[in-house]
Amino acid sequence: MTGNLFLQIFVILDVFIIGGAAAIAAQHAYAHFRPDKHEPEKPHSPAGHDHIPAAVKERLLQESQNKLETALNHSVARLQHDLANTTEQINDMVKRLATEVVGSELEHYRTDLAKLHEQAEKDLGEIKKNVDSHQAELTTMVAQELEAEKQQLIKQIDTKLGDAVGSFLLETLQHNIDLGSQTPYLLALLEEHKADFMKEVVDETQPAA
Amino acid sequence: MKLNLQPSISSPQDLKSIILEIRQYAHWFSQYTVKMRASDSQPEGPAPVSQVAATLIKESSGKEQPSQKHLDDLIAGLEALETSAPRITITLAAPAPGSLKKVLVQWCREHVAPGVLVDFRFNSTLLGGMVVQYGSHVYDWSFRRQILNARGSFPEALRRV
Repeated sequence: MTGNLFLQIFVILDVFIIGGAAAIAAQHAYAHFRPDKHEPEKPHSPAGHDHIPAAVKERLLQESQNKLETALNHSVARLQHDLANTTEQINDMVKRLATEVVGSELEHYRTDLAKLHEQAEKDLGEIKKNVDSHQAELTTMVAQELEAEKQQLIKQIDTKLGDAVGSFLLETLQHNIDLGSQTPYLLALLEEHKADFMKEVVDETQPAA
Repeated sequence: MKLNLQPSISSPQDLKSIILEIRQYAHWFSQYTVKMRASDSQPEGPAPVSQVAATLIKESSGKEQPSQKHLDDLIAGLEALETSAPRITITLAAPAPGSLKKVLVQWCREHVAPGVLVDFRFNSTLLGGMVVQYGSHVYDWSFRRQILNARGSFPEALRRV
């Protein structure tokens, strides 16, 4: 922003300088090609004209004209040279300023771009982190559900298998029962639960409180 | 009157049967006594009575000759026992043979109550063991119950095979 302002001031100043130089050059050119009409000097005395011969007069006039033309040409050449130098300097300055401005803008653009890139990377990293976390959660949840499903299936299979084996045993064992061989076992059962019977006897004989 | 029930009288039905038998005997004995008083001749032989009933009658009269009073007391005692005796129901996997019944009844009368009546039933689906019902409790010690309770361990056992 400061560079732009400085460039504008400089260009305006140069325009004024060029304008001034152009005015001076125009003035000199006008003065050269349309000289002012001076009133001829009145000879002090008519005898004066007689002192300068016409040839000399013509020669002096020619020399003066040549000198003036030379000086004017010289001034024009210098002016052209100065104008060319000034133009070149202005062009250089404009180029340098443009380069600086463009460089500054590019740097600013790069900085902004870097910031945006950094922000984007940060956001992207956060998104990736969230995605990874969510993915891990999903993986864990799916694994847990699969494990629960597996355990449930195993439990169902075990239940069906237990039922099948139990039914098989119940079906096959009830066709050949020998109570005689079970007598010791039955007595052992009664002996084992004798305390329960005694408690029941006590409960039956004692009236409820 | 204290009665000592024999192991062969195990169930309420057995007891009822014995009571009926002794009642019939008492009726016969009454007629026999009247006949003995009315005539000098010996009446016909005694009413057929089972060995168990005969033993009970003999135990109730002691060393004396059985009298009508003894028989009436015996019947009254048995009827009282029928209504007041504790009862156990034992369900087995098959009809219990006499020897097994005798053993189980004897055990019950030694350890539970002297005059306890044991009713035997059978259910072939029990497979083995027994189900005992006493009072308000049912004790299921059958093989069927054990198999059903062990259903959960069959898969584990099969995995180890």
